[in-house]
Amino acid sequence: MKKILIVVTLIVILSVMSLPLFANGQKDGGAEKSKVTFWLADYEGIDHDFVGKIADAFEAAYPQYSMDLVIVDWNAMHDKLTTALAAGTPPDASVIGTRWLLEFMDLDAVVEPAKYVSQATFDNIAPGAMEAKVNGTLMGIPFAAGSRFMAINTSLTDKVPQTMEELEKYAIEATKNGKYGLIMPGGKHTELTDFVYYFYAAGGDFFDKDGKCIVNSAAGVKALDFMLKLANEDKVVQDGYLSQDRKQAQPIFFGGKAAYVMIGAWADTEYNKMNADWKIKYAQIPPFAGNKPAPLIVTDSIALYKDGKNLEGIGKFIDFLYKDEWKAPLDKQMGFPPVTISASKRPEFQTPMYAAMAEANLNAKGWPLVTGWAEASSIIIDATQKAYLGQMSAKEALDWAAAEVDKARAE
Amino acid sequence: MGDTVLTARKRGLGGEAKLAYALLFPAVLLMVIFMVYPIIYVFILSLFKTDKLARIKDFAGFSIYASLLSSKDTWVVIGRSLIWTFTAVAAKTLFGVIIALVLNVKYMGRKIARLLFIIPWASSIPISVMLWRWVLHNEFGLLNHTLKITGLMQNPPVWLGQSSTAFLSCLWVDVWIGIPFMALVFLAAMQAVPQTLYEAAEIDGASKAAQFRYVTLPGIAAILLIATLLSSLWTFNDFNTIYILTNGGPAGSTNILITYVYQNSFEWLKWQKASALSVFTFIILSTVSVIYSRVYFRREEM
Repeated sequence: MKKILIVVTLIVILSVMSLPLFANGQKDGGAEKSKVTFWLADYEGIDHDFVGKIADAFEAAYPQYSMDLVIVDWNAMHDKLTTALAAGTPPDASVIGTRWLLEFMDLDAVVEPAKYVSQATFDNIAPGAMEAKVNGTLMGIPFAAGSRFMAINTSLTDKVPQTMEELEKYAIEATKNGKYGLIMPGGKHTELTDFVYYFYAAGGDFFDKDGKCIVNSAAGVKALDFMLKLANEDKVVQDGYLSQDRKQAQPIFFGGKAAYVMIGAWADTEYNKMNADWKIKYAQIPPFAGNKPAPLIVTDSIALYKDGKNLEGIGKFIDFLYKDEWKAPLDKQMGFPPVTISASKRPEFQTPMYAAMAEANLNAKGWPLVTGWAEASSIIIDATQKAYLGQMSAKEALDWAAAEVDKARAE
Repeated sequence: MGDTVLTARKRGLGGEAKLAYALLFPAVLLMVIFMVYPIIYVFILSLFKTDKLARIKDFAGFSIYASLLSSKDTWVVIGRSLIWTFTAVAAKTLFGVIIALVLNVKYMGRKIARLLFIIPWASSIPISVMLWRWVLHNEFGLLNHTLKITGLMQNPPVWLGQSSTAFLSCLWVDVWIGIPFMALVFLAAMQAVPQTLYEAAEIDGASKAAQFRYVTLPGIAAILLIATLLSSLWTFNDFNTIYILTNGGPAGSTNILITYVYQNSFEWLKWQKASALSVFTFIILSTVSVIYSRVYFRREEM
């Protein structure tokens, strides 16, 4: 009996000792601090040390809070968030692809940011960036918005294609001496951006007005056939494109081995990192002949979560983050043009790359805002890969994808 | 003896038994909370339609099982998982035994060799896999660079870009990570085989091959069974290698059950389907474990 008592006492002591591990607050020098959690996406170019400084500066400015600023890989962000939401333990706020917002609203997981973030912060955000408005209510704070464009290695070509057909011609010319005409990632990535450049350039849309998937339209088939021709007939894209996502493929361009790449706001940062001995030039992603330009625009937002433990604190943090002192350098690192009015006037955002993005914005087209997009996107990537592998023709692959997407969204 | 048992039964649980139960209680409680409950919950989840946060909605019965069993994709993924597991475990066992034999021989530098062999297993698996992803990179990868400069292959394959080579590459990385554990376990087992048996075999004129066949192999058989069982379970559920190297691609050609479950649950939020697939995984692995246990305990009884 005595032994049992000892065991039970030990268990109780251990349990009591572990209780503080589960507490949300933490004490520092006697004062209770409440924890604020924010998940920041790991954008290419982002300086992790600088992110640490933001957290330190926030804690210094607001000693009542301890800041848990977590950098999450973009490819893992969606899955981590859904897991955390399912477990009822989301961060207070996080960066999200704006295209995920409907899904999260469908889950009743997000709250209106205006309840916690100051009006002064919203007043400093460009009205054009407020994409995350649902039924007139802003549900996601614009964090980054940038159109995609084309980067050109001028040591290999100085020709700026006006159409996709011209791009093919110039890429063939540039493919020599171990250099590639064009970078085309074909590996599975978070999004199917590398198909959509061509798809939108052919005038394609993913869904019709009734929500039916029409990726197998004439535009879709034209785009995929063109990509197959570039890769398999013209052989202007990098070897092993099918195994590479953009993080693995784009270093080939920045290493000076390819003439063209369709890219986003991180281009300048990555180029500067390489100390390249060649000059980079920016241009628009061309449409197919007879089509209008329609570059992809990608917008990211900050969502605040209903189950967050410290929404007051996260509101304060977002106000703090959106000051030019912090947000402008962060924008610069990520390469995105600022969404805040004050930062956009700063001289560092008046470069050729930002000019190219501003021009692209005029015709840009975003991702479809539909539920079930993650699976739809994955199915379409699989379809493009089946076509690359020669398992199906472009038409067969996209017919399969359209049917699968409709089936998946109906479930 | 019989009287003692009877007396103990009459008195109920003795002090020792009570202590044993008390000591076991926390472990059993943790197992119930973290293993039994999730298994039961996953099975229940597979019988209900859910919302995207896995909250149970309407009862659907066994409809998802019928749908999965009639789907070609399911069978392809299950078949691939079995091929993946069988091939990887066989390779790990074979290489593990060979390396253990080499490490068991006395020579100078044996300790350093043992240390080097354990490194892949001691390293973080995701980091090892990420390093392999760069080794296999078509443009910057060490493997293709080596093949080209040594003239072994002028046009080496795009390892992660074609269905067959991607699967083989994943398999190789899994085997590379798993060999050290197997080698280490087999080495420990070999060292437990009494030296006198080898001396007797030598006196009887047994060759080295015969010594391995009739002394070493029976001596390590029990460990061999346990190690291959553990390796089968780990390999069947090896998520890291495939997720990091290919994410199931190209075109789903490297998806195994565990990555398919992940895709359906955390990427697409199809909790009912993911739960049913998890039940399949549970059934397959339980069957393997039961067969192994029966063989193992039958040997013990003999």
